Amino acid sequence: MDATARPAIVIDNGTGYSKLGFSGNSEPSFTLPTVVAVNESFLDQKELLSSANWIAQYNAGVMADLDYFIGDEALSRLRSSGLYTSRSPIRHGQVDDWDTMERFWQQCIFNYLRCNPEEHYFLLTDSPVGTPESRECTGEIMFETFNVPGLYISVQSVLSLSAGYAYLKSISDEDSDPSSDMTGVVVDIGDGAPHIVPVVNGYVIGSSIKSFPFSGSNVTQFVSQLLQERGELLPPEDSLDISRKVKEMYCYTCSDIVKEFKKHDKKPDKYVKHWSAIKPKTGVPYTIDIGYERFLGPEIFFNPEIYSADFSTPLPELIDSCVQSAPIDTRRALYKNIVLSGGSTMFKDFHKRLQSDIKKIVDDRVAATNARHRVEVRPIEVNVVAHPIQSYAVWFGGSVAASTPEFYEYCHTKEEYEEHGASICRTSPVFKGMY
Amino acid sequence: MANTLRLYLTCIRNTLEAAMCLQNFPCQEVERHNKPEVELKTSLELLLNPVLICRNEAEKCLIETSINSIRISMKVTICHLEVKQADELENILAKKFLRFLSMRAEAFQVLRRKPVQGYDISFLITNYHCEDMHKHKLIDFIVQFMEDIDKEISELKLSVNTRGRLVATEFLKQFI
Amino acid sequence: MILLQSPSRFLLQILQDRVLSGEKGMDIDCHAVEFDDVRYHIQLLLGAEAAFYPNFSMRNPKVMVLSVALPLPSPEAILCDGLPLDAIEAIKAAYGPVVQILDPPKDGFDLTMKINLTKLPPDEEQRNSILTQIASVREVVLGAPLKVLLKHLASKTVAPNVDKLVALVHRPNESFFLAPQADKVTIVYPMRFQDSIDIVLATSFLQEFVEARRTAALNNVPSCMWSPVPPLELKGVPAEALNANSGFVTFVVYPRHVEGKKLDRTVWNLLTFHAYVSYHVKCSEGFMHTRMRRRVESLIQALDRAKSDAEKLKKLVNGGSFKRLVCTLCK
Repeated sequence: MDATARPAIVIDNGTGYSKLGFSGNSEPSFTLPTVVAVNESFLDQKELLSSANWIAQYNAGVMADLDYFIGDEALSRLRSSGLYTSRSPIRHGQVDDWDTMERFWQQCIFNYLRCNPEEHYFLLTDSPVGTPESRECTGEIMFETFNVPGLYISVQSVLSLSAGYAYLKSISDEDSDPSSDMTGVVVDIGDGAPHIVPVVNGYVIGSSIKSFPFSGSNVTQFVSQLLQERGELLPPEDSLDISRKVKEMYCYTCSDIVKEFKKHDKKPDKYVKHWSAIKPKTGVPYTIDIGYERFLGPEIFFNPEIYSADFSTPLPELIDSCVQSAPIDTRRALYKNIVLSGGSTMFKDFHKRLQSDIKKIVDDRVAATNARHRVEVRPIEVNVVAHPIQSYAVWFGGSVAASTPEFYEYCHTKEEYEEHGASICRTSPVFKGMY
Repeated sequence: MANTLRLYLTCIRNTLEAAMCLQNFPCQEVERHNKPEVELKTSLELLLNPVLICRNEAEKCLIETSINSIRISMKVTICHLEVKQADELENILAKKFLRFLSMRAEAFQVLRRKPVQGYDISFLITNYHCEDMHKHKLIDFIVQFMEDIDKEISELKLSVNTRGRLVATEFLKQFI
Repeated sequence: MILLQSPSRFLLQILQDRVLSGEKGMDIDCHAVEFDDVRYHIQLLLGAEAAFYPNFSMRNPKVMVLSVALPLPSPEAILCDGLPLDAIEAIKAAYGPVVQILDPPKDGFDLTMKINLTKLPPDEEQRNSILTQIASVREVVLGAPLKVLLKHLASKTVAPNVDKLVALVHRPNESFFLAPQADKVTIVYPMRFQDSIDIVLATSFLQEFVEARRTAALNNVPSCMWSPVPPLELKGVPAEALNANSGFVTFVVYPRHVEGKKLDRTVWNLLTFHAYVSYHVKCSEGFMHTRMRRRVESLIQALDRAKSDAEKLKKLVNGGSFKRLVCTLCK
């Protein structure tokens, strides 16, 4: 059986979570925290090798480089034993430790997906601001270590956009071709570096990409900070872990903070949630109250100054300036399709708030233009698209893309790699648009 | 064994020290061009006699010199038709490692992306490299490089064997 | 991870999620491919799509349909209805009332079964063990004939009407061979690999199996041999089944290796011997890769040391700040 006859493997490595699965499925088979727990006590191979006695070495540690865990297993190992050290291969959306990344992939492929990498094409994702060098490194590991027959490194934002289209197509009965008009702004906020990426006809407008400095992990930090400042008794060792769970379960976006504070003060029993757990060290149960944190956490996207004094441009304004920096003939189409992607856009009513804020900015500008030039400009349609697969939109887009027959033509193949070297992975075709 | 390696490396070092006296030399045929003469071999008077240093029949080092550039090529692997099983492993590891190095030629500046025919890895040092870097340290680097290749290949071989043993033991232990 | 585990994580996760999620149902329609071309397709269709598959959808959130495709058998392997011998009996014995085999299987698959989660035992431990068993469907089906042969070995008999040499599928178009006798079973694997580096590494690994067997600690394990040419046991096997580029490995299994609880483990280990070797070949390559990357880094450092101070200073002026330049000058 030829490798093209098998489904491709789609892996989306995010800063917080990695999504992995087979193309053609509607959801990833596994969603794992991108963490590796390594046992470093035997890493010093040189010393071991010099003592040529293999039995001694065997007793000392069985293949230290295989003694590691990833994902949830890693987290539980880290908690239960001091033997392991935690490593995160990805920081701020980009890989910074390639050895760890390689190990992570190794377990993803052999332990979780249990497949032979020589028999499958691979689709991996890369951040829109990823460097050519990082793509080269990815290609090198995939082709040299895992011997994959073909590899495609896609840009996350384009995949999110196509996921949005595929989703819209699946809920409406229209027979519109999803690839015909790949235009929109992708707002990608995960655990790593959030980006706002304008895409026109499937091509990324590289010069207009904007970064937002705060991500999901900052929301977690902010929630934990607020809880501690309010005097809730959180055990310090897992305060971040609990804050993350609080964020995922209870946080929501409000339309107006002042009103929301009043609502909370009026009916505390309705809005205040409780969280009970057991202290890991002493085993004493405790309960904490969750109040204003519920809406203040996500608020850092709309009023960044409440979290840090260094950056004060709210997300809606940044999206607007992103569209304004794009070519003028694409702007209307971009405003019409603002697609959310990444786990940190999953807060309740996040898209509504975003839409109304952007709408306000746009309407104000239209009104100002009308007043200044005494014309009647056609109102601009602003549309923020939310869909239930936001948290793994990139993976879903990848799964859709990799299940098309054309996918195998776009892939870099092993033959090409051996002929030209890792440089074939440097460029991504989506940056080669007309803009 | 280690002793012959030292002699071999000392010989290479001495040869390099003598050979590496490069000067700027513009191309004689095209104006305002400056090309490594050892690669182009445009005229014979610019080239010196190449030196071939052999450690054994498998390992040898060819040093070609010209007025503005020097080319050092090395052979580490055996290409006999009948290689023994153990040597085949060493051979394939050496090939893998050298390929790995050649792929990263850009990072090494003085490394050639393709070895000279008949050799496994080649360096090309021009007068510009000599101006930018200390000559004796550059020679140190070349010698260390050769030493490291040797060391790395034998360590890789050892580690493959050890791993094989561990893998086998783990599997067989299942039957106890 | 050193040893391969029998249950498929993919199936186990879906099954456990389903059991825990209670009455409300969501469509599941997932497929997966495992090593050696074993494919799974698990379905739970509740909505409109269920109408397309009247045979395979039960419209019940607790009933799932699992289809399994096995590796393409080689001509010498004996099958019955597209499944390895005794597979149907093995499924019935392993799962009891929870699983019902649907005949004919779904298009493109070799086995389709209905998993009824309402029939799971209420006790959590028992339930989990059954779910793990279902996730190990690969071992149950592919290993069925092997298990029967080894069971007979445990009681020191030879199964009736069994040939002198039995071929069993373990990879697409490849089989391994068993020569059952009353007191021992000889198992021969022709080892094939694709990549030239893989072949060399695997060959050296296989020789280590023989070496490792010689150590005192492993005196009681099956004896192990490696040879580049087909061993005598394989006389009479068609030549195309014997073109192995990594030689032949022979294990001789004695009754003590298949006693009681050891049987299942032995079946799984023998069934996935090739996958085990190939997994470790890949891991070694990864390990070598890491080492080589480290070596390249140290060499680049050595080259950097060769750069003269003037060069370094130039870099500083270009890339670094003026302050740092002043600092270096002061030193």
